[in-house]
Amino acid sequence: MAQLFDPSANTFLRVVMLALVVAPLVFVGGMVASQWSPFTTGLDHTPEQPVPFSHKHHVGELGLDCRYCHASVEDTAFAGMPSTHICMTCHSQLFTNVPMLAPVRESLADGRPLIWNRVNQLPDYVYFDHSIHIAKGVGCAECHGAVHDMPLMRQAQPLSMGWCLSCHRDPGPHLRAQNAITDTTFVADNSPQQAAALMKAYDIHPAHLTDCSVCHR
Amino acid sequence: MTRYELIRGRKRPPTAWMPDRREALAMLAAGSAAALAGCQRPRETITPFVDTANEIAAGEAVRYATALELSGYGRGVVGVVVDGRPIKVEGNAHHPSTLGATDPFIEAAVLDLFDPQRSKTPMRGPVPTDWRALGEALRAQTAAHATDRGAGIALLTGRVLSPTVLKQVEALTTEYPDLQRFRWEPLHDDAERVGAGIAFGRALAFQPRLDAADVVVSLGADLLGPGPDQIRMARGFARRRRPESGPMSRLYAIDTSLTPTGVMADRREAGRPELIHNAAIALAAALGAPLAAPALPPALARLVAQAAGDLKGGGGRGLVLVGPAQAPEIHALAHWMNGQARAPVDVHAPIDPVAQNHADSLLSLVQAMRAGAVKTLIVLDSDPVFGAPPELGFRDALRHVAFTVHAGLYRGATGRAAMWHAPLSHAFESWSDTRALDGTASLVQPLVAPLYDTRSAHAFLAMMRPAADVGDLQRVQATWRAGSDGGDFAGWWTNTLAAGVVPQSAATPATVPAARLPAVTPATTGPGLTLVLRPSPRVWDGRLAANAWLQETPDPISKETWGSSLALAPADAEALKLAAGAAATVRAGTRLIQVSVRIDPGHAQGAASLQTGFGQVDLGPVADGVGANAFALRDASQGFLIQPVEVLAAGAARPPPATQHVFELAPADAGLFPVVAASDLAPAKPRPSPPDLLTPPNPAPIAWAMVIDTSVCIGCNACVVACQAENNVPVIGPEEIAHERDMHWLRVDRYEHPGGQGGFQPVPCMQCEEAPCEPVCPVEASVHDSEGLNDQVYNRCIGTRFCESNCPYKVRRFNFHDNQHWPVFGQLDARSIEAQRNPEVSVRARGVMEKCTYCVQRISAARRTAEKEDRPIRDGEVTTACQGACPTQAISFGNRADPSAAVNAARRDPRHFVLLEELKTKPRTTYLARAANPPDDGGPR
Repeated sequence: MAQLFDPSANTFLRVVMLALVVAPLVFVGGMVASQWSPFTTGLDHTPEQPVPFSHKHHVGELGLDCRYCHASVEDTAFAGMPSTHICMTCHSQLFTNVPMLAPVRESLADGRPLIWNRVNQLPDYVYFDHSIHIAKGVGCAECHGAVHDMPLMRQAQPLSMGWCLSCHRDPGPHLRAQNAITDTTFVADNSPQQAAALMKAYDIHPAHLTDCSVCHR
Repeated sequence: MTRYELIRGRKRPPTAWMPDRREALAMLAAGSAAALAGCQRPRETITPFVDTANEIAAGEAVRYATALELSGYGRGVVGVVVDGRPIKVEGNAHHPSTLGATDPFIEAAVLDLFDPQRSKTPMRGPVPTDWRALGEALRAQTAAHATDRGAGIALLTGRVLSPTVLKQVEALTTEYPDLQRFRWEPLHDDAERVGAGIAFGRALAFQPRLDAADVVVSLGADLLGPGPDQIRMARGFARRRRPESGPMSRLYAIDTSLTPTGVMADRREAGRPELIHNAAIALAAALGAPLAAPALPPALARLVAQAAGDLKGGGGRGLVLVGPAQAPEIHALAHWMNGQARAPVDVHAPIDPVAQNHADSLLSLVQAMRAGAVKTLIVLDSDPVFGAPPELGFRDALRHVAFTVHAGLYRGATGRAAMWHAPLSHAFESWSDTRALDGTASLVQPLVAPLYDTRSAHAFLAMMRPAADVGDLQRVQATWRAGSDGGDFAGWWTNTLAAGVVPQSAATPATVPAARLPAVTPATTGPGLTLVLRPSPRVWDGRLAANAWLQETPDPISKETWGSSLALAPADAEALKLAAGAAATVRAGTRLIQVSVRIDPGHAQGAASLQTGFGQVDLGPVADGVGANAFALRDASQGFLIQPVEVLAAGAARPPPATQHVFELAPADAGLFPVVAASDLAPAKPRPSPPDLLTPPNPAPIAWAMVIDTSVCIGCNACVVACQAENNVPVIGPEEIAHERDMHWLRVDRYEHPGGQGGFQPVPCMQCEEAPCEPVCPVEASVHDSEGLNDQVYNRCIGTRFCESNCPYKVRRFNFHDNQHWPVFGQLDARSIEAQRNPEVSVRARGVMEKCTYCVQRISAARRTAEKEDRPIRDGEVTTACQGACPTQAISFGNRADPSAAVNAARRDPRHFVLLEELKTKPRTTYLARAANPPDDGGPR
């Protein structure tokens, strides 16, 4: 009687047995790893917007300060989104008839707000406050990246808890002087001495910054 | 047609509850897609304003002074509004009735605003209609009265003190001179009014000042109990109950059932109402009145003798207060005794302009209705079909009236019985004005535009006149412009709105002659039991019964939720063969109700007591069928005593679920609630703390701590409801409470020492430094922060409940169900209540443990403010919700690391103690022992 299995069956069996062990590990490992992937964190997520507002043009080329539109960033948790009126302070004079700005003009005419797609999104159980970060020397670009170079707003950081904690554990290297807070081209490159000096100047105590209750309640 | 029917062309067999193959595959696919999508966050949008001028700071709390009414009396409050949503109510420190604190009724008012049971549209009988149809019908009806000078129009209201409403009613009576106005409150003050007339020859209003009284004698007066004046009374009482801040007052109480006043008394005796009547006469006789002192049981006689001795001697000021259930003569007698005792009572002319008794007013209305003299009946914010005595037959009398219209926040029984119903706006939705017990006027300003198609009482009254309507704001401004001195009205208006009280609007004090001694005869005890009706500390007279927070609030004394039982003395219950929790039929003449029975060891023999406001049938899914309607036992005189009543066993009942079942402390547990006599208190000396090898001293610059003074806690539950409002604590309904799954983060325990005094002990999370809950959590959801808070990280919690098992104080609460969808609203769409939620606090999901964290959101807000201003957090800058609500300021909270903090002063008090100190959990929440000031020869209570 001829052999039922030729010699290659041995190899095949070994591969199958190895796969039975490795495949679940790879699958679970992949699932775990996926939490750091941009697919999950939303890193570089660049949503479409009702008006293709270009931070590159307004910040990088025209040099508008962040606080012109995000007016409450120094005072409240929410940085503030510009009302249609703020857009129209300029655009009632400039580019008054470009089709791209039709939704803005319609918003003003109808009294219906523009609805923007959120770029930087935190879970509801995270309580983030813009104003305290600004007051303590964390610049806009620290989380929002090179805004002056973004034609459409992009999520510049993973916004994961590990990423938050990396700064909360050691804020010094991420701090800057108040006069550079909204400068998105400024690169904080703090020497250990300078980091320590900034920590002291801003009276920051990292021991408390990693308490759960700082962000969750 | 279901999908099954579409595909198969036939109905599914009723037994096929399992999915078929196609459905199973569809579910599998949907599940896999959902699992994949779950890795990514749902995408959100941001909607900015259009107009910068209307912009409000997103997510920031804005505070507006306004006022709420309880039985017509205004109480100044501050509404907290976030993103246009009122989310919390706080007291107004400038207002004489709230003094910056609240009571459960004030705290719960914001839930009424978002209550899905509210009346939302005008109704014509059972048919929804609109305001135009109602207005046309109303004007056509009133126009027909042009010929009879309005003689056929009857207007029934509760107690109305709003100057603008009174002005509108006056305008109506100018147009219709014979219009008849009736005023009725089920929890009325007829006996007080008549009593003042007997003593002084005219109606007067009285404001006792407990902080100035050295000896207080309560004769059935629940002076610390619920009501429009509770906060002011409690604050005055508390000022004299801290032994370290001056001589303590002494409180004697005789009450029929145990009340908060009885619990707080230095000496209390139970007495049936007739004995309280006689005790008042005996007390007056002992103070020198030429009256024959009636015989009293020995315990009562001893209390009366001690009280009389204290009132006479010592040169202090005494105060005798009498409950609403007592006869007018006893009220007059109390005025006479107060004259003898130099009582600190402010007297002024009555604020209520109607002089007629409430009971007489309602009786004359019903008689006029039956006689056919009323053609048009307008019921404004009153529910007589629920609260009127059955023998008046109000529902039946409505049939004799050609046109009936009811206006109210809820439709209720009267709104259903009337031909028309008009939905009124909530106080937070409309402009108005109001007056407090002492006459202080407040402006009521809206916190939000009306949520539904409702109108204010002003707009409703204006509908009766054909004149073009002006807005409520203009109407209220017109009232006050007329009274202003003609100066800068706009400035006056803005300042008054911001302050919440109209300056110099309190009633002017009246000078009164000495009270006449009334002719009184001792009461004889009739056959059968005497039933006492008591205002409910949870739903008042029933107008708050639809409020789910209040229904779920435990009663201060019995700790019952969702209803209230008939309270009986153990001896009476035994004689009637009634066990605790049994059903009973209570019969007074031909009137009867079914209630469950509660055996109250502190109850007077020969009497029974029952709370009002329960037993609704037409209010909505929250209130309907909960408890029994005590008003249904009243006769036309509408007294608070019903004599005689028969109590008959009626089988088994489902008693209201209670959150505490044992009140008496066994001797071994006496340390849970220490009571110290003021005379025994040693002068404050620092207690040497034993060396602690367990942990190094806390080096953190901030160490949060709380001290609760049980000497002044009156168990009112303001803190409980405040915590619920602040922290998004769900309502779970009576079935879950019966499973001991109550969700209140802060509970108020009540304890009794056998033969001695007891008291109230609020128990929030103790924030133990050596927290037993922390090491048992497998996912580190229960962790300590650097400032000593025992954090609960909701997004980490997987619901093992190990922490709850290991907590010796039992302050952790578990979400067994999706509790944020309250089951108590039945089939109603209850999404509106989501608008009340505090955006600064996570909404907890099913399977998550939750607990008090000292209002960490408020700590965080204060810290961020302080850090932005580059300064430390000031003492008193963080106020927890419970602390802010407390009428007696029993709770102090602050930084233990700051030696000058108020909380450290409390911790140095000789009354300071730690709950279950022997467990070495080192709680941050600690207590001050109850200080008592019993009379020298005070025997057992």
